[in-house]
Amino acid sequence: MVNNSSTIIETEKLTKIYTMGKVQVVALQDISLSIPKGTFVGITGPSGSGKSTFLNLIGGLDTPTSGTIQTQGKVISRMSNEELACYRRVDVGMIFQSFNLISSLTAVENVALPLLFAGVSKMERKRIAAEVLNKVGLGLRGGHRPLELSGGEQQRVAIARALVNQPDILLTDEPTGNLDSKTSEEIVQMLADLNKNRSITVILVSHEEGLINKYSDTVIHLKDGKLVRQDKIR
Amino acid sequence: MKLADYFEQSFSNLWRRKLRTFLTTFGVIIGIGALVCMIAYGKGIQKNISESFTQMELFNYISVFTDSALSRFGLGNSHEEIETERRSEAILDEEVLEKIKRMRGVEVVFPDVRFPASVRYDENEEFVLIQVLSSELASSRLIKLRAGKSYVSDRENSLIISDSLLHRLKVKDFDSVLGKEIVVSTLSFDFTQINPLDLPSLFQGERLPFSKETYSFKIAGIAERMGFGGPALLRSDVFVPPEAAKDLKKLPFSNLWDLFRSPAGRQGYSLVNVKLVSPRFVDPVTEEIKDMGFQTFALMDQFEELKRGFLIMDGVLAVIGMIAIVVAALGIVNTMVMSILERYSEIGIMKAVGASDKDIKKIFFFETSMIGFLGGLFGLALGWIVSLIINQVVNAFLTGEGVPFIQFFSFPWWLCLGAVLFAMLVSLMAGIYPAVRAARVDPVVALRHD
Repeated sequence: MVNNSSTIIETEKLTKIYTMGKVQVVALQDISLSIPKGTFVGITGPSGSGKSTFLNLIGGLDTPTSGTIQTQGKVISRMSNEELACYRRVDVGMIFQSFNLISSLTAVENVALPLLFAGVSKMERKRIAAEVLNKVGLGLRGGHRPLELSGGEQQRVAIARALVNQPDILLTDEPTGNLDSKTSEEIVQMLADLNKNRSITVILVSHEEGLINKYSDTVIHLKDGKLVRQDKIR
Repeated sequence: MKLADYFEQSFSNLWRRKLRTFLTTFGVIIGIGALVCMIAYGKGIQKNISESFTQMELFNYISVFTDSALSRFGLGNSHEEIETERRSEAILDEEVLEKIKRMRGVEVVFPDVRFPASVRYDENEEFVLIQVLSSELASSRLIKLRAGKSYVSDRENSLIISDSLLHRLKVKDFDSVLGKEIVVSTLSFDFTQINPLDLPSLFQGERLPFSKETYSFKIAGIAERMGFGGPALLRSDVFVPPEAAKDLKKLPFSNLWDLFRSPAGRQGYSLVNVKLVSPRFVDPVTEEIKDMGFQTFALMDQFEELKRGFLIMDGVLAVIGMIAIVVAALGIVNTMVMSILERYSEIGIMKAVGASDKDIKKIFFFETSMIGFLGGLFGLALGWIVSLIINQVVNAFLTGEGVPFIQFFSFPWWLCLGAVLFAMLVSLMAGIYPAVRAARVDPVVALRHD
C-alpha cells in the first residue's frame, strides 16, 4: 500500500462478511480505493449495497473481516478497541440519518459529549460547544433538548457535535434521509462549506444522486458490496 | 473523562430514573440496616460483658475448688484422673485460706458460702440464695450500692439487699426501707420431728425433718444489680456478714453434693474465691494453688475462648444480615441490566463519539457505587434508628422488672465506616456484570436500535 501525503483514506481489499447463524452475508467485497485529503466524496448505491458498512469501517465503529484501512498513516483495521475509541474521538466526526442525539441532554450537552470523553473540563466544554453551535446557526437553541428542535435543527446539532473535536474527516450517513428537500439542501450546503472553508474531508453517503452529484468531487458507486464505478466530477 | 464527570454523569443518570433508583437503593438500605443491626447487637453484648467483667474486676479472680467440687461442676479432668486424685484430696480450710492470702499478688480471699432462705418484707416473700460476705468486701467497690451503706462489722445484724429483689418484694420507694427490719427465714434439721413409728413416711419424703427458723435483719444498704454479671462470684440478692450468718440455724451445706464429702470426715469449703491485685498475677498464683493440690478456674484463662465464641456469634449474625444484602445486590444487577436495555442506543452514541469500553464500564461502576454509598449511609442510619427503638422498648420492659438500663447495641467507628464501604463493595460487585455487558455493546447495532 502506497501512502501518498495527499491521500487521507486508503482501503485495500476491504471485505466485511456478517455471519448470521449458518448464513454468511457479504456486505463488502475487496474494496480498494483512496480518498484525497480535503475532498468531498459521495457514495451512492441501492439499499444493501454496503454504503453504511463502508462508512462504519472507515469511522472505526466496525472492524473488517479482511483487508486494510489506513487513514493519515494509521492502520485502523489493526487497532485495539481503546485505540479505535481514541480514533473516533480525535480523527473523525460522524453524522447519522436519525441524528442520534441523546434525548435527555440539551443541544449544548450533546455537542459537548465528545469533549467529555476527551477529558476537557466542564467550563471549557460548555464554551467550545456553544461556540460550535453558534457556527451552525443554533446559538440561541443550546438549552433545548432534541425533542424541542426541528429535524433540520437536530441535524445541525449533530453536525456541531461531529465538528466539536475539529476532526479531519467528516463521515455522514444519509444525513438528509429524514429531512425535507429544502432542509436537505441547507444541510449538504453546510457540509460543502465546511469542506471548502476548513479543508475537512467529507464523505457523504446518500441515495439522492442529485445532491451527491451537485456537491461531490468524486462519486463512488457501490452495488452488492462491490465497487462498481468511481466518477470524478470535478 | 475526569473523576468529577463520572460522578456527574452517574448522578444525572440515576436522577433521571428517580423511583427506580430509590427502590434499588432502598433494598440496599434495608440490607445494610439489617446487617448493621445484627453486628451492633453482637458488639453491644460483647461490650456489655467485657466492660462488666472489667468493671467488676472479674479478670482478677481465681476460683479454687477441691477435686470433688470440680467434678460436680463438670470442669475437671477425665473421670479416671479425678478418681485418682480424689483419694489424696486436699481440704480447703481456714489454714489454706491464710496460705493463699499470703501469696504475692493476692488481695482478698473469701469462701463462697451461700444458703437458701426466704426473705419477707411487709406481706411479700421471695426465695433467694443468701451469700455470706465479709464487711471488708461488702464495703469495697465490688458491691455497687445505690442507696445506704454496707454493714461495718462481721457481727452486725444487718444485710445488703439488691434493688431487683426489693422490686420483686413490691417496694416502690427504695430509700424508705433503709434501716428497716426485714425477715429472713432459714431451714434447719429438726430431729425431734423424726418419729421412729413413722419411718416409712420419712423415707418416702412425705414428712422431712426440717424446721423453719425466722430472724430479723436491718437493711443497711441497697445494691445495684448489674445487667451482665458473668460468673456469679459476687452476685446475690442478699449479702450477710459471716459472724451474723454463723448464728443462723441453717442446713450445714449449700449443695447436696456436699453431703457426699461429709462421710469421709472432710471439712472445709468447697469453693473459695481469690481476688488478685492485677490479672497479671493469675498465672503465678494459679500455679502455686495447684501445687497445693487444688484445682482452679480463672475467667482470664477462658477469655480467649470467650472471644472465639463472640467471633462465632458475630459470624452467625452477619450471615443472617447478609441474606438481605444478597437480595439487594440482585436488585442492583436487575436495575442496571434494565438500564442497559433502556440506554442501549445512548451507549452506542457515546461509543460513536469516542467513549471507550473503559469509560462505559466506569460510568456503570460509578452508578452502582453511588447506589451502594447512599444505601450504606442511609442503611447505617436506619440500623441506628431501629436499634434505638429496640433498645428503648426492651429496656422499658426490663426496667419494669428491676433490671438496670442496658445498651444492647454498640456502633464502633469501624462498623459505621465498614457498613458504607461494604455497601459500596457489594454494589460494585453487583455492577460487574452490567458494566461488562454495557461495555460490550456493539455501536453499529446500538445506533440502529430504536
